[in-house]
Amino acid sequence: MENFAMLFHGFSVVFSLQNLGACLLGSILGLIVGAMPGIGSLAGVALLLPLTYKFDPTTAIIMLGALYYSNMYGGAFSAILLNIPGDSPAVLTAVDGYPMATVKKRPGQALMTANASSCIGGIIGMLILVILGPALAELGLKFGPAEMTVLLLVAMTSIGWLVGGNPVQGLLLSFIGILVASIGMDVQTGRPRFDFGNIYLLGGVEFIPFVIGTVGFAQLMQLMDEKDDVVHAVTDKLTIRGSMLTAHDWKRLTPPSIRAGVMGTFVGVLPGAGATAASFLAYAMQKAFKSEEPLGTGAIEGIAASESANNAAAAGSFAPLLALGIPGSGTGAVLLGGLMMWGLNPGPLLFQNEPDFAWGLIASLFISNIVALAISLGIIPVLLKILKVPIRVMIPVIMIVCFLGAYASTYSMFGVIVMLISGVCGYIFEKNDYSTAPMLLAFVLAPLLEDNMRKAFIATAGDISEVFFSSGISIVLTTVLIVICAFPVVRTILIKTGKYTPKKKSA
Amino acid sequence: MKRRIAIVIMLVAALAVYAGGSSEGGDGAFTPSRDVTWTCTSNPGGGSDIFTQEIKDIIMTHGISDANIVIDYVTDGGGEVGRLNVSRTTGPRANHTLLTFNSGDLMPMCLNTDNRIENFTPIALMAVDNHLILTGDLSKYKTFQDVLDALAAGERIVIAGSKGDDIETYNELIAELGVTANQFAYTTNDSTSTAITALLGGHVDLVLGKPAACEQYILAGRMTPIVALAEERFDTDLLKDTPSITEFGYEAVDVPNWRGVVAPKAMSDAAADFWSEVLRQVSETEDWLVGYVERNGLVPQYLDREATVQYMADFQADYLQKIGKDK
Repeated sequence: MENFAMLFHGFSVVFSLQNLGACLLGSILGLIVGAMPGIGSLAGVALLLPLTYKFDPTTAIIMLGALYYSNMYGGAFSAILLNIPGDSPAVLTAVDGYPMATVKKRPGQALMTANASSCIGGIIGMLILVILGPALAELGLKFGPAEMTVLLLVAMTSIGWLVGGNPVQGLLLSFIGILVASIGMDVQTGRPRFDFGNIYLLGGVEFIPFVIGTVGFAQLMQLMDEKDDVVHAVTDKLTIRGSMLTAHDWKRLTPPSIRAGVMGTFVGVLPGAGATAASFLAYAMQKAFKSEEPLGTGAIEGIAASESANNAAAAGSFAPLLALGIPGSGTGAVLLGGLMMWGLNPGPLLFQNEPDFAWGLIASLFISNIVALAISLGIIPVLLKILKVPIRVMIPVIMIVCFLGAYASTYSMFGVIVMLISGVCGYIFEKNDYSTAPMLLAFVLAPLLEDNMRKAFIATAGDISEVFFSSGISIVLTTVLIVICAFPVVRTILIKTGKYTPKKKSA
Repeated sequence: MKRRIAIVIMLVAALAVYAGGSSEGGDGAFTPSRDVTWTCTSNPGGGSDIFTQEIKDIIMTHGISDANIVIDYVTDGGGEVGRLNVSRTTGPRANHTLLTFNSGDLMPMCLNTDNRIENFTPIALMAVDNHLILTGDLSKYKTFQDVLDALAAGERIVIAGSKGDDIETYNELIAELGVTANQFAYTTNDSTSTAITALLGGHVDLVLGKPAACEQYILAGRMTPIVALAEERFDTDLLKDTPSITEFGYEAVDVPNWRGVVAPKAMSDAAADFWSEVLRQVSETEDWLVGYVERNGLVPQYLDREATVQYMADFQADYLQKIGKDK
């Protein structure tokens, strides 16, 4: 196949001392910025970009591509060990990773699961990128505002799976998530909403400080509540050997990793969706499949779905960037600016005019996947030492991490204020058994849904049938949406009429 | 006595610090004496960043000034926090602070805040960008005449574009064509690339964009420019065959997207003249004219300090009148 020949050509480009060095440096930096809450891939790439303006373009993109990609690995570390997601795509990794590390007392296995599924997802994403190449980007083009609207509505129904036993609580928090997400500038009219005359609110509430507060700072307050100075995880088997996954663990993590990898790649290609949406969707999809333990209680399947999807999406997002010059995510937009600064012309001719650049980057992603995996596995024993630190020492450390992360994401105290407020609210919610996952999901998806839905209605002059039934993709997704919404109703009717008896308790 | 001596020493020290910071020579000329903070209200990699980096690079490589320029990205509040901070900068720092300021910054600033160009010291205008309308493979309108015929026949057309000056250009366009926003509908996107995505996928009929953002798609045959909205055709090989809207019997409707530099209101005249001269030298270099202006399909238009003050004030007055905030 021609694409594989070009991939090998890409490897020949990468295998120079300079490019390998850039790849290694990018991977290490990606792991570091990913593990540091608040920085994330967007800020990491943005911070490093000005330093690369004088680089050779291929070397520069290899370094930044490796940083972006390996950031997905790093994000899981603090999510699993501290319950503070290093980056937004790792939010759902924390939901199962932290309980697996602390409650199930399998921190090494939780990290190992995250690394293995990241690797699987990444390889799937890269292989799809190589095989389909520009065709993958063309597929993304088929998703216009109408198709995205229906897809996001399907995704929003997954809130139903995240709310747990109390739908009223889940809906309430979802509405709060939507409300907070709607603060800031209305993209369609350019007018501010809910800014209360505060200049900082004009730009809206950033996701990173919001999630650090809701998840991390709230967790910190809970730890302070516990008072007793206990070591909050196991102290034995904190070695690589003691962290190895069993054959049964592998059996559990592989199917969700493959599913989430395929889905994450395609979500990464979609306009504006990105790795965070991919991990949320994959996690919601996993809810529809069988998991050995309920998701949210430390299930391997949950970590695998989230981590595999975000790595696959990171790989998939390079398809529209390279094939069409269209960024699939915020980080992609920064990389696009980089292409222009390096003197390249991003657009449909990039693969044709700059094959060394395009295929060199794709080849480097494979290498950075291996490098990031090797480093991630190697530092597991070091990371696990965090769990030996007594709570009285951990609390100030986590507090500093929360403050630094919130500040770093916005370069201002506004991020810290957002973190503190959302932290207190998150603590109150958790204390009263309100799960904050639906709020975070709504916060991520609602702006995308609003933007696409309003564009779809403008384009169709408000014709609902045009939105839901204008293309084959819309029709299929609308059918899925109807089935998802109708399923609980039909199920209830069947139970009430005695035609169906549910099994005792399933995940 | 000791107390008086101490007060005199403190006063002398304070004056020395102030003079050291402002570094205006005996002849009133200004030379930078500390790091220069150049605020950019978009993220690295964005259009404003590329503009800023390019100027910084030319200043350094051509030795126009040996000042150490540090680019500070302040994106809070959609950039309004950065603009407000710069406008309020005082003291010696004011002479060492610059801000990348475009028409796309002025419009939301006037629309959503009370900050105005009078709170800044305009330094220079560097270039102007113009708009054009493009069609795609999947669009049924292949020429601007097709668009006009369709509108005359009552058909509904959807055009996609970006924020800021694109919206203003669209508003002027429908006013000039005499159609309603419902018949010639506009979808606002975060960036032109998102609008292009919609066109390439066949989800909208047309795209309103600027040459730099569309060039590669035109070269690849994925998009075709059908009309330039300025008075005259573009003066580039790629776009010289694209008719101007005036050739169809309409007035030019372009809202120029200018790119300029401003400084804090408290900047001294000497410092403002210095920076205006630095930017004039930048605007005359080959690196600027070819490497930035031509490459991005812009129109080179350097205006000195005095002319920039007038240009930006007039632009703001027109805009405030349009949005009904001129009183």
